[in-house]
Amino acid sequence: MIQVKALTKLYGDFVAVNELDFAVQPGEVMGLVGPNGAGKTTTLRCLAGIIPPTRGSIHVCGHDLAQDPIAAKQQLAFFTDEPRLFDYLTVQQHLAFTARIYQVRDYEPVADQLLAELELAGKKNAVPGELSRGMKQKLAIACGLLHAPRVIYFDEPLTGLDPIGIRRMKDSILKRARDGAAIIISSHLLHLVEEICSHILILKEGRKIIHGTLSEITQKFSAQAGDASLEEVFFRATGDAEQGSAGEPPLPK
Amino acid sequence: MISALLYLQFHSIKNRTVMRITRLKQPKYLLGAVVGGLYFYWYFFRTIFTAPRRGQSLALFASPDNQVLFESVGALALLVILLLAWIIPHQRAALTFTEAEVAFLFPAPISRRALIHFKLLRSQTAILFTTLLLTLVTNRLGGHSWIRAVGAWLILSTVNLHLLGSSFAVTMLLDRGISTWQRRLGILALVAVLTGAVIFWGRQTLPAFDLSRSSDLQSVKDYIQQILAAGPAPYLLYPFRLVIRPILASNALAFLYALGPALALMLLHYAWVVRSNVAFEEASVQASRKLAEKFAAVRSGNWQAAQKQPKSKRPPFTLRPTGPPAVALLWKNLISAGQAFTLRIWISLAAFALCATLLMKQTSGGSGLRPMLGMIAAMLMFWSVLIGPQLLRQDFRQDLPLADLLKTYPLRGWQLALGELLAPAVALTCIQWLLLMVMLVLFWRTSGGALSWPDWLGVGFGAALVMPMLNLIILQIPNAAALAFPAWFQSTKGASQGIEATGQRLIFMIGQLLVLLATLIPAAALFAGVFFLARILLATAIAIQLASIAAAIVLGVEATFGVMLLGWLFDRFDVSAEATS
Repeated sequence: MIQVKALTKLYGDFVAVNELDFAVQPGEVMGLVGPNGAGKTTTLRCLAGIIPPTRGSIHVCGHDLAQDPIAAKQQLAFFTDEPRLFDYLTVQQHLAFTARIYQVRDYEPVADQLLAELELAGKKNAVPGELSRGMKQKLAIACGLLHAPRVIYFDEPLTGLDPIGIRRMKDSILKRARDGAAIIISSHLLHLVEEICSHILILKEGRKIIHGTLSEITQKFSAQAGDASLEEVFFRATGDAEQGSAGEPPLPK
Repeated sequence: MISALLYLQFHSIKNRTVMRITRLKQPKYLLGAVVGGLYFYWYFFRTIFTAPRRGQSLALFASPDNQVLFESVGALALLVILLLAWIIPHQRAALTFTEAEVAFLFPAPISRRALIHFKLLRSQTAILFTTLLLTLVTNRLGGHSWIRAVGAWLILSTVNLHLLGSSFAVTMLLDRGISTWQRRLGILALVAVLTGAVIFWGRQTLPAFDLSRSSDLQSVKDYIQQILAAGPAPYLLYPFRLVIRPILASNALAFLYALGPALALMLLHYAWVVRSNVAFEEASVQASRKLAEKFAAVRSGNWQAAQKQPKSKRPPFTLRPTGPPAVALLWKNLISAGQAFTLRIWISLAAFALCATLLMKQTSGGSGLRPMLGMIAAMLMFWSVLIGPQLLRQDFRQDLPLADLLKTYPLRGWQLALGELLAPAVALTCIQWLLLMVMLVLFWRTSGGALSWPDWLGVGFGAALVMPMLNLIILQIPNAAALAFPAWFQSTKGASQGIEATGQRLIFMIGQLLVLLATLIPAAALFAGVFFLARILLATAIAIQLASIAAAIVLGVEATFGVMLLGWLFDRFDVSAEATS
């Protein structure tokens, strides 16, 4: 479903993403984790067609994102941590606009269902300025899911959501995966990744450190040091074990 | 404590200046600075190094009569400004700080008085800069620059202190239960009584003004002078005249004589402000947050959000879920443009304009009003081509901060480009068609028979055909500039300060005119060729229409290429590279 080969992104001499290879199959949820500046967001933006990769190829549902971007983009949705909305369109107008862009026939019932699920049914005529941050996030999600994407990327999906929203978001992600979507989630919240991801890809300085199913990588590290949580795996894999086990960042001298 | 605030102010200015000097290493700022510097030199500094022309040195102020008149008129203007400061405010006093200043200074052990001093200190930076500009602008008039500089500084500083003091006083009145409307009524009543006193005195002592002499400027001036120089007016305006007097001083001695009272008034204002003990913190926090939101919106290119909070608007038409995707962008951008751009409004406007112009045509007879209004419509149409694209920005320029979202859409670059251009092009075309209709009705049979009515219709049809294509082209120029030079584009909108920003704007304007000329030349040449050839065989009206169709085709082809180019530019637009640069 998502096939990435030798993905590289350079900014001048700076290597943001370096020779990344991985694949995500239908029904899989891959957690993209790594320290700040590891290249997670850059990777997702390349995968969504927002920024062009310097080298390498990306295939979405069999369509080359560089050669056939329209067919590829028709199948994907990208949810950023900061909801990207038009200030002057209402909730309803956002959905009508998105439906036309993605050519979604008979979108109204789907839109109504999404709004009800996301508790936005009473806010149809509100503009983003009248919505809370969490509601804006929900609106962005409703727009993204309107065309039933088969490939979904989330960048820090829980930012700004309340506990009920978090629970629903997790359920929604798992439901989409069960329905056959290929999902990539970038997050610093390792417990979230551990809870809902079937696969993990750890990045550091743009390079792939480790990639596999959650059980594979925890087993690999458990073999070295007893039962290892994803947090433990993360610290060991990124070489930050000392800081991680210390529990607190070092104080300035 | 004040030393810490001075440190903050000094280093803020120093660091900002250093940053602006260092960024001159980038060609875009250096070129902007050079062009801006030349512009400022040409308009302001050139005259510093040349002696003022003979007879230029403020001869206006030479006569004592004129001095009194200018002083009184200036004092009157000052009185109006200060009265408005007492009438308009409806909120509590708020000193505007940046969010960082609020976060650092408000919880710190700094007294309210120290915060006021900091605010006054900071406002002096803006006052000194304004003084410098005023001095440079008025330098061409000759006279003593330093007198005008100090005089302007005194006026601006006193007004600034008064505005601050009045806002504190208004807050105190609110705290004592005097509502905004009670205060306004009280002040307006006082103004009415004082104005009544001046009018009463004038009617009692001065002969009534002869309206037949209203075209004689000297007699109007004399009459105003009589009112302002005698009776109650001089007493009412006295403190304001004291503030104005130094800037009008004709020599150093007169200036020194006028300086003392003005300075004393300013110091009295200062004492009033610093001794006011008004709680401004809460309102200031709110004002600072609004200011920060405004800056953030402007920096992201979203001017609408900076102006006011958008509200839900009625869509211009019903958007069906299938069909050309570019129409979705047209629909979205027309919603952004507001209620003024719905079909119903335009049909109503056209009907109203047609009725009004037809009525005027029948009633105005042979007066010059009709052709004059026609000329105004023609001028507005000409200006719409030059200024329209700057005013109507519901296109890439508005959506560039959301470029990452646009890039996820399953659309080709040209589809996005076309969709983005449509809304301002449609709006501009509607405005021009309306003006064209008004022009045609008003000019019909007023040209001394040079053109027959079929000729006029031909001109109208031709112009109506050419305008949409031309609009598509002229809108592409600023959009292409925004996509090709996003850093320049952002800097000309967000950080609109400094010589380099002025220079960048000038470069953009010149570039825009050159590109417009280059695109118009082929269409104009073809129009002329077809018209003269067709004129040999056909009537003028048909020749104009044929030539217009040919010109519209050329412009249409150019517009199509432009849309493809714009789409290509958007496809190549690297969001992250722009962000990192």
